[in-house]
Amino acid sequence: MKRLFLLVLLLGLAGTAHGQQPAATVIAVPPLTSPDSGAKGNQMLAVGWDVTQAIETDLRQTAEVMPLKPNRDDYYSYPEVTAPTFSKWRAAGAKALVTGFVQGRSDGRLTVGCYVYDVDKGRELARKGFIIGANDWRRAAHKCSGLAYTAITGAPGIFDTRIAYVAESGVGEGRTRRIAVMDSDGQNHRYLTAGAAIVLTPRFAPRASQLAYVSFAGGRPSVRVVDLDSGQERPLIAAEAISFAPRYSPDGSRILFSMMLGANSDIYVVPAAGGVPRRLTTSPGVDTDASFSPDGSRIVFESDRGGSQQLYVMNADGTGQRRISFGGAWYAAPQWSPDGEWITFTRRGQEGRRIGIIKPDGTGERVLTTGPGDDGASWAASSREILFQRTGANGRSSVYRVALDGSESRQLATPQDASDPDWSGVME
Amino acid sequence: MRKTLFALTLLLGAGAAEAQLPFLKKRTAQPQQPVLQGIDALRADFAAQAGGTTVYYGAESAILGAPAKTALGLQAAWLRRHPEVVVRIEGYGDSLDTRDHALAMGARRAEEVRSHLLLLGVPATQVSTTSWGKERPGLGRAVTILVR
Repeated sequence: MKRLFLLVLLLGLAGTAHGQQPAATVIAVPPLTSPDSGAKGNQMLAVGWDVTQAIETDLRQTAEVMPLKPNRDDYYSYPEVTAPTFSKWRAAGAKALVTGFVQGRSDGRLTVGCYVYDVDKGRELARKGFIIGANDWRRAAHKCSGLAYTAITGAPGIFDTRIAYVAESGVGEGRTRRIAVMDSDGQNHRYLTAGAAIVLTPRFAPRASQLAYVSFAGGRPSVRVVDLDSGQERPLIAAEAISFAPRYSPDGSRILFSMMLGANSDIYVVPAAGGVPRRLTTSPGVDTDASFSPDGSRIVFESDRGGSQQLYVMNADGTGQRRISFGGAWYAAPQWSPDGEWITFTRRGQEGRRIGIIKPDGTGERVLTTGPGDDGASWAASSREILFQRTGANGRSSVYRVALDGSESRQLATPQDASDPDWSGVME
Repeated sequence: MRKTLFALTLLLGAGAAEAQLPFLKKRTAQPQQPVLQGIDALRADFAAQAGGTTVYYGAESAILGAPAKTALGLQAAWLRRHPEVVVRIEGYGDSLDTRDHALAMGARRAEEVRSHLLLLGVPATQVSTTSWGKERPGLGRAVTILVR
């Protein structure tokens, strides 16, 4: 703690030379309005208020955007959606504005319109309309939040995403572990496995339609793939070998994984729909935890071929393997960021296990967390935040999120102890 | 490197009674209940005569040391005397390790033990391997359960 304070102090003294953290963009989030009138209009305004509050909650989670508290009594007319009174929001200190409307349709569904404005310049930044089921207002709110976040920061929003993790309950031999999935705001929480077998490392397909994970059912760890809509499940490969560490390619067509052949762990790739695995590494050490670059042309992985776990980058066909970590510690569990700029990793050193980031060329290494029991980092779709697990001295684990800006890690609310988080891309 | 030791446990049919029963039946044609009791007796006999069911590795190592090889020699001799017994070799990783590397290290250690047992003349059909990585409680507890 003291050290962190000192760091902040030093950064402050260093001034702009080291790039000060830009202040968050203040955004006004007035209540959504409705073109409907009468009883239906009131009903739509009520839905609009739900959406508005969800947008505020979404945006408040971010480091870059700061929403003004919406006031239910201060709502605007329908024509104002496309012609806002910018002077009013300027006076309130807002740099941006997200407005919109909810309209009932004859088929019982709703049209939700969202508009994002630059208040200073008085011009529209983005707009988008969605047709949703009457109970899907939360989804519409996430899409509005994403529209605003992307218009302001240029990065994909993380609101319409899912988080998978391993829920842990009980102690000792009686401990059960289940794969759990929830929306990134904690809603729609559900379990995918019953807890009879130990399960590990859930990993989403890019649009969160499928999930790969490791199960010890049958006595040996092996990768299984489950379809989240149908619940249908299958083994990733036909072979009986120990397989683990699955990770989808960014386009969802392939899955990287590790497989034991005798005493040797190597990296393989297999079509996501099933097929014959192709071997990508052949070193006699433990090669594992492979992750594609966003364009699918390269792969980062860990290998202990040189005597200790280190990060390596290779081409997608396995050629050109090159070590990139030289920081005097052990480096493991890498994942390439969705924007391609960074690779996150677990650093094992005298301080224990901590989460950090490094450029794909091996420069710019930075440690983001305090440890000593951190592992399993997973990028947000925005490439600005990372989920990871922290195991305490009592052996209990929780999931935390940390932003690249150096702010402190925050614990994610989960019903039970939680490990192995995975953060999906934006759903469609 | 810290002198922590990590275990690799040789499991006599534990938790896999169903898997072994057909095998035992086929060879000995004994009824089920006595066979189950027999497994417990075999476990105790194995533990006693082989000097334990666990061999140890150094940190981050999958290389068998001299004490481990001595223990495996006794275990191999016992297994050759009991060709009807199938064993599963379960490897463990370091709790301080990252999850997937620990899983691979456990598998490597199990595989090294299997290879060594085969070298000492134990038929391949008698031994299978798996890894628990860092996913099971500490070594002491695991051993207690096995030799009970």
